[in-house]
Formats: sequence, C-alpha cells, structure tokens
Amino acid sequence: MPILYGANPTWADVTPVPQEDGGPHPLAAIAYAEEYSEAMGYLRAVMAANEYSQRVLGLTEHIISLNPAHYTVWLYRAKVLDQIGANLADEISWLNPTALQHLKNYQIWHHRQTIIDKLGSPEGEGPFISTMLEQDSKNYHVWSYRQWLVKRFDLFDEAELAWTESMIEADARNNSAWNHRWFLVVGRKGGQALEESIVDREIQYAKAAIRKAPQNQSPWNYLGGVVRRAQLPASSLKDFVLEFADLDEPDKVFSSHALDLLADIYTQDEDKKDEARKALDLLAVKYDPIRAHYWNYRKGLLDSSPAAQQIA
Amino acid sequence: MSAAQAPSSTSPAVRLEELSDSDFEEEIIGTAMSDHLEYLHRVAPPLRDLLETDTSKAQDETLEAILPFLEGNPNEFDLNSHHLPKLQRKKHVAFLEKTLGNYPAQMAPMDAARPWFLYWSLQGLTALGEDVSKYQERVIYTFAAAQHPMGGYGGGHGQLPHLAATYAAVLSLVIVGGAEAYDSINRKAMWHYLGNMKQADGGFTMSPGGEEDIRGAFCAMVILSLLDLPLELPPDAPSRAHGHTSFMDNLGGWVSRCQNYEGGISAAPGNEAHGAYAFCGLGCLSIMGSPTETLNKYLDMPLLIHWLSSRQCAPEGGFSGRTNKLVDGCYSHWIGSCWALVEAASGKTGLWNRSALGRYILAAAQFKKGGLVDKPGKRPDAYHSCYNLAGLSATQRVYTFDEAMNGNVGKGHLGAPYHWEEKGLYEEDKAWDEGDLVDRVHPVFIVPWGKAEECRSHFEGKGVV
Repeated sequence: MPILYGANPTWADVTPVPQEDGGPHPLAAIAYAEEYSEAMGYLRAVMAANEYSQRVLGLTEHIISLNPAHYTVWLYRAKVLDQIGANLADEISWLNPTALQHLKNYQIWHHRQTIIDKLGSPEGEGPFISTMLEQDSKNYHVWSYRQWLVKRFDLFDEAELAWTESMIEADARNNSAWNHRWFLVVGRKGGQALEESIVDREIQYAKAAIRKAPQNQSPWNYLGGVVRRAQLPASSLKDFVLEFADLDEPDKVFSSHALDLLADIYTQDEDKKDEARKALDLLAVKYDPIRAHYWNYRKGLLDSSPAAQQIA
Repeated sequence: MSAAQAPSSTSPAVRLEELSDSDFEEEIIGTAMSDHLEYLHRVAPPLRDLLETDTSKAQDETLEAILPFLEGNPNEFDLNSHHLPKLQRKKHVAFLEKTLGNYPAQMAPMDAARPWFLYWSLQGLTALGEDVSKYQERVIYTFAAAQHPMGGYGGGHGQLPHLAATYAAVLSLVIVGGAEAYDSINRKAMWHYLGNMKQADGGFTMSPGGEEDIRGAFCAMVILSLLDLPLELPPDAPSRAHGHTSFMDNLGGWVSRCQNYEGGISAAPGNEAHGAYAFCGLGCLSIMGSPTETLNKYLDMPLLIHWLSSRQCAPEGGFSGRTNKLVDGCYSHWIGSCWALVEAASGKTGLWNRSALGRYILAAAQFKKGGLVDKPGKRPDAYHSCYNLAGLSATQRVYTFDEAMNGNVGKGHLGAPYHWEEKGLYEEDKAWDEGDLVDRVHPVFIVPWGKAEECRSHFEGKGVV
C-alpha cells in the first residue's frame, strides 16, 4: 500500500509543492500516478526546507522504488544519510537488491561509491561486484566502480590481479577485464617506468592469449600498449607476428591484427616500405576489407614523415 | 601456433557463400538479393577463431539476427535504387512526434530524463526535414519549469540541476531558436552553476556531489560556447581554491588522460575506451580550439584513428562502442560523428566506410512501424532514432573546418565550432538516393545547420550578464 502522506499525521506539518509544468501543454509530459505525484510533492517541499530526517529517508526510499533513475532523490538521500548520521552498513544492505535490478544506472553506483567511501572499508564489495558481473560481465559502471574501489583502498595486489585473470580466463574477449588488468599493472605506475620483469610478464601473458584466439583484438591492443609503454620498438614483436601473418605466405594469414602490426613494423623500417604496402593491401583487399579506406589511408602515410605513421 | 585456426566452416563469409549458391534464395528474392550477397561477401571477415566464449556466442547470435535484414527485406519496405530500404521518413516523423508527446504513468522512470526526450525528438525531426518552430512556445515553458533558480536545468520542476539535463535543454532551445527561447536561459546563474561543476583535476562533475566524467567536460564546453559565457571562473567556483581561474584550466590535459592504451577515450582516466565518451572527448576538444590544433595536441591521433576504425563491425557495417562488443545503432552517431572531427584534424577525408554504415542504418536499424533501433529485434526509441539519423547524415555529407568560414560569428573564446563548412555530399559507393537524405547536422553540437550560429550570435557582445 502506498503511504498516503496527506492523510498521515507525521507529515501534517508539511505542505506539498505541486508539480509545475510551466504551461498548458508541456512536451514529453508524464501522466504521473497519484502515488508518485504525491510523494514528489512532499520531496519538493522538504528539499525547499532543507529537511534532513528519518522520515525524509523513508520518503526517498519510496520514490526510488517508483523511479530508481531519479538522480535528485539519490543526491538528496546521500545528504540526508550524512546529516542524520545514519547506519551506512544498513544502507549498503538495502542498496544491493536495488542495484541488481538496475544494472545500467549511474546514480546507484555513484551513491554506493559515496557510502563506501564514508564507511572506509571495501569489505564485501568484491563478492558483490562478482555477482553483478555474472549478470553482465562488461558492465561499464561496475568496472569503473571496481577501479575506484581499488584506488580508494589501495587494492593493487596479487589477489586483484588473480581475480582479473580469472575474468579473462572465463572470456578472453572480455575487453573490460583486459582494461582492468592494464589499470592494475600499468595504470597505477602513472608516468614511472615499468620494471623489465613486469614488461616481460605482460608480453608473455598477452601472447599466450593471442595464441588461443589470434583474431581476438583485446590482447593485441594490450600487447601493443605494453610495448609502446615500455618504449620497445614494434619490431621486437616481429617473430611473434610472423607466426600469424607472413608476407611470404599471403594465403596463410591467421590474424588480421597480426597483419596490421606487421604493416606497422615494416612502416618503421625505411627499407621495408614495399612490404608495409603489401601488408596493408592484403588487409584492404582480403583480410579486413570493411576497413579498406583506413588501410589505404595508412598506405598514403607511408610517404610522409615517420612520426605520423606509428601505430603500435 | 597450435591453436591458431584457418577460417572455419561456420564463418559468415562461408555461410554467405552457401547462401549465394542457393537457387532457392535467388528464386524468392531475386536480383536485389544477389546484389546484397555480393556486397556482404566482399566485406565479411574471412578469419574466425574456433575458441568459443560468451562474447563469440553473443556475436554469433547477433549476426544471425541481423543478416536477414542485410541480405533481404523482411520489413517489406520500398527499396531505393541500391536495393536498400528507403528512409522511412513519414513513419519516423510520426514516431518522433509521438515521443515528444504525452506518456502514461508507468513511464515515471523517465521523469529525470525528460529534457533528453525533447532533444532527441526535436533533433530527429529536423534531421528528417521537419520544421519544429511550431513547438517553440511549448519548449520554452517546458524548460522554464525545469530551470533551477541556482542555475542549470534539472529533469523537471523541483529537480536538482544536472549537466546532462542542462545540455539537452540548451540544445532543444537552440533547435527551436528565437530570442525568446535564448533569453529564457538564466545565463548568469548558469555561469555560476557551471563554475560549481569544475573540479580540482580539471574535469567536471555532472551534478553537485555527482559523478565526474567526460560527459561533464563536453556538456560544460557546449553550454559555455553556445551562450558565450565568460571563460573566467565565477568568484564562488570551488576549484579557484586549487589555483584555477578559467574553465579551461587543466581541461585539455584531463581529456588527454582519458585516452587509454587502445587509443579510444574513456569516461574518466583509467576506464575502458568507449564510443560515446570518445565523441564527448573529441567534441570537448573541438570547442576548446580548432580540431587541427587541439586534437593533435592532446591526443595520440594515429592510435585514436586505429581504434575508431576498429569499431566498424563486419559484415554488419554499423559500429560497436568498445572492443569485442556488439553493433548498436546509437554508435552510428557516437562513432560515426567522430569522423568529421578526426578528418578535420588529420586533413584527410575518406578514412572510414560510410557506405557500410549507411547500409546498416537503412537495412537493419529502421523499425517496421517507424522509429530507429539498436539492432533488429529491439524496440525503437527517441535516443536510437536521433543518433541513427545523425549517423546517416554523417555518412552522406562532408564537413570541413575552415577558420575563415563565418567571419561574423565565433570570433571570441570557444568560437572554433562556428567555423565549419559543408562541402557537399559524399557520393563514393553511396547506398542512398536523394529521398534518403538526412538534413545537415552541426558536426560538434548535433543540432540543425545554422542554429548554433544563430544562438551564439544572439549572445555575442552581450557580456556576462
């Protein structure tokens, strides 16, 4: 049963502020149900009076149940929790089922972040995130939230890396998991140099994933990123790339991404422009024709300055 | 090398070959069908890994649902001279007029997003060639109720100001245009509100105490530019405590930090590269200065172009938002509209496959009864309608940046976006006829051609307030 605020003595001191639509035929107008309309009238009134109280907390919960995408209610609820010194662990327990129902909601995640930040502990968040990712393994908000959590509580540890690996193992094409690995291993370093052992480990990791599915672009992008970040020449990957694409055997190419990288390696070698051209032609004509314009653009760059050409 | 596989027997290319060999298919659909099969055969990727994961399964199912629309015409639309469904203009207009209208009680969850429904519907209608000036008065008073006394717009009356709502409100007012619409915006309060959103690290939050991401940076630049507000932060802006004096302080660097190792742009530093955020980042930089200057200064362009190019799905032709994700009609704009900005910065046109995107939109993204969709099997909505149409426009028209264009407007700060020129239609390998043309769209603001300039002119020289 909806709470009928108007007939409720605990709300008798509040005069609701009715919805104002600005004119006779507002656009994209909603024929609000009485329950929603009344609750919103009371919210407008308590917000105008800056009231922070238990009853307002209940009111926000009621409105969220009717419209979880209502950022105003979430922002005001966060303020109420703060002002009345509410039990934040209770807030998280209440939040969990709501979040599971509304995976693509910006507000819920931001609210959660605000609460966990104040609680000062990441306890229980890992398992909760895993539950969310089971439903939608590439959910942008969830991954962004996990990054915030790692940064906030300095969780750049082996356990986090192992968990990320398990996500990649479950689906080597989950690019969000690859991005998280980058965030853990490389991102945390800021501008600092990466240790050689880490660079080697990451290169081997990406190569192993590529061998399992050479047409999976996620590890290729990762590999290229690591090599660039470590300031290694792209040519250091040449032997590996030749396993999947060799110009001497143009009919036996196993990965367009290998051919792409091979073109780049040749591009950086003044004496290998013809080979670069040949690799780009193979991409444009045979192995990745939808991007023919792009491959031809890369070909056009071969005659310009070297700085403009480097991709990987 | 053991696990690297040769093209598998189930690859789309092979499947297409099987289909094109089938007399049965020929008989029922005729020559139009064989044209499409020839095309699909040409763009289908020949390589495919055998490793099966959730991603590959989802991709296979998606392609299975889309292929019939690329091969034939299950909606039985009238076809253009390229044997593709014509742009269903009348049906889309009717759909968007509806999305601008009244909603039943169960639509309460869109209460905070009403400004978006106005923007998407109005922009979509103008793209289809409709005159929306008849809505001017209603747009003005709808937003008057959503304007917050402290500046900016909320989703509706009594809601806190939010940059997404404010962006959609300002663009809607720009689309209907006219002094009355422009002057309904409380510029002084807006300036203060935007000042409150500026953060110590250079970025912007979406709302007071809300999340900080690249949408905030883009929306703030759009509004500052269109309303010709001062670049100087208001005296009460909290980030002044961190030494900032201008809205632009540390902003280019912040956007730069959003470019990740893949070359794309993310919501915030460290996050995954994503199509919608890429457009926000490029749009933000294209307002801060000429794209030639700002994109090359703050971004690794070869890497960005590589990533953008990788977003085009084969053989679908439409774009995905991230690596290894599915095609979605909304990226027809979010990725498709990046190209004009990137081409302006690189000085080259023809970097991407316009024809393939055009085919996806006409053949797979039009809903039978009107409105446009993410992909076949999904319901149409104002969002996908607006952004598929913007994407279709991007496939058809060439825009170039020329500092010398429009000498009368955009001379002051954040004036770069007023110097775009439309160079005409892109005819190479086109998949549309004249009847499928979508109107010109401003490449940065995504409003009808000329409307942004009118608004900016109205405010230029007015000073702050």
